[in-house]
This record gives sequence, C-alpha cells and structure tokens, in this order.
Amino acid sequence: MTPDPLEALRLPIMPVEPRPEFTASLLRRLRGERARVSGRGATVRYFVADLDAAVAFYCDDLGFDEELRPSPSFAMLYRGDLRLLLSVPGRAHALPDGTLPDPGGWNRIVVEVPDLDAAVEALRGRGVRFRHEIVTAIGVRQALLEDPSGNPVELFEPLAGYHERGLKGQ
Amino acid sequence: MTTVSVRYIVNDIDAAIDFYTAHLHFELQMRPNDLFAMLAHGDLRLVLVRPVGPDGPAGGGAPMPDGRMQEPGGWNRFSVEVPDLAAAVEQLRSSGARFRNDVVTGVGGRQIIIEDPSGNPVELFEPILPEAKLSRPAPSSGQPDR
Repeated sequence: MTPDPLEALRLPIMPVEPRPEFTASLLRRLRGERARVSGRGATVRYFVADLDAAVAFYCDDLGFDEELRPSPSFAMLYRGDLRLLLSVPGRAHALPDGTLPDPGGWNRIVVEVPDLDAAVEALRGRGVRFRHEIVTAIGVRQALLEDPSGNPVELFEPLAGYHERGLKGQ
Repeated sequence: MTTVSVRYIVNDIDAAIDFYTAHLHFELQMRPNDLFAMLAHGDLRLVLVRPVGPDGPAGGGAPMPDGRMQEPGGWNRFSVEVPDLAAAVEQLRSSGARFRNDVVTGVGGRQIIIEDPSGNPVELFEPILPEAKLSRPAPSSGQPDR
C-alpha cells in the first residue's frame, strides 16, 4: 500500500487510559441522561512547564486528587471544592500576537492547612521552594511556596480570632 | 458559603472592587482599609491585596525576605462560568472592559481572558460539554485539553 503522504503531518495518537469516569459518562450519554452538575466549587487555571512534575507535586505534596489527565498538556485536579486546571502553554493558549502564557506571577490559590509548621517542615523536607517563610498576620499564619514551575501557592493556618467573614489584614 | 480562596494582587483596591462587583457580579464582603478587600462569587472567595513595602503591615501584600515586591499580572487565573459567552463579551466590551484575546473555542467550551484594572487575568468560560461544567465528579471523556 502506498504510504499516505499526509501521514507525516498527523499528530500521534495518544493512548487513553480507560477510566471509570469515562464509562460512567458514556453510559449517561447513551441513556440520554444529563451529567451530574452540582454547581459548587471554583476553578483556577495554572500554567506549568512540566505536567508530570506538577501533578506529582499537587497530589503528593498538597493533597490534591487527580481527576483526569486526557493529554500530555492538560490535567484537572481537585482539592475540596477547588478545581485546579494545569495547562502546559501551547498554541491553544497563545494570544493573537503569538504570546504564550507562562508560569509564575503572584496571584495564587490559598490553601488552608491545620498545622502550618508541620506542613512547611514536611514540604521543605521534600525540597519544595519557599518564597517566604511563615509569617503571622491578623488571624492567620501563612507561608508562600512555589510549585516546580515557579507558580505561587499560599498555605495558611487559622489562628484564634480567624473568621471566614471577619478576616482582616491578611 | 465560600470554600475556595484565591489571592490577587491589585494596585487600587477600590477600582478592583468596582470591576469585580459591577462586571463580574462579585459580592463585596469586606474592605477594612485600602490595602485589603474580600469578595465572593459562589464558592470562590477573592482576596484582593495592594502590595506594600518593607515598612508596611505583615500579611498577604508584604514583600519577600529578598526584597521582591509583589505585583499584579501573570497568567494564572480563576475562571468564571457564564451561560452565554458571546452575550457576556458584548456587554463587557460596551462597558469598556479590556480583553487579552478573542473568544477561543476548545473541546470543553469557549473561553476568553478579561483583565481587571490592574491587569490581572480572569477567564470567562462557557461550557460546551456537560462534563466541562463546574462539578464534582467531573467525568472524563478522554478529551484533549481545552
């Protein structure tokens, strides 16, 4: 058979790991049912240079669960009601002038931990980089660390006087 | 109840409050001073801080030990789900909002990046697939990234 001249231009076919979620989703669609949508939670997108390193960091070090990783450039993680999308910058994210997003900056997710000292010590033991050590503000103690791509993540531990709606000077 | 916290660095607290409440329908929860505000949108709590120098108060807007000041911008962002992106974009454009790009259609949905007055990105997202809606569990369908 003559080789297809377009073959060289085709993207490689990526193996897709069969997941229980996929089966459940397919079944619902075949039955004409709607997806379960709770409407709860919030979504944040971070850009990362290395998806595997990022997924390992967020899942192993910060307690996220991997929900899906359908391609080498995208993953969806959960931690409580936070849905974290990890994207490797690519053409789909380029601005009209070609500018690609990159990791970093200062805007960040804020993750509550019950014992900040223990968390910081454990993370430091695994080689996690910190932008600043533990500081005490009003109602909270906090630390600012970096994921493997240099994205900031803030950890905080509530102190006496901390209120969800009464938080001041944080 | 807000259960997810995100901190954004802004240069002007009041301009940011106006933007997030007027354009993106956030609710102002507190603004104790001109360095800090807290807003809510569904389960998202948005904490806004203005960067302060080494003599400023300790906390989220303080400089790093090596002297680096925090600043707005970057690419990491939270996303806000809208039912009709085209309508939302038209309305926002007519009120003078800045966009970084045009509407991009991915597998899971359509999205666009809007900038707050300090230049921070916010992603507006209209799901196409039911699975792309904000939910838990979010079933996989083996789709490429969006």
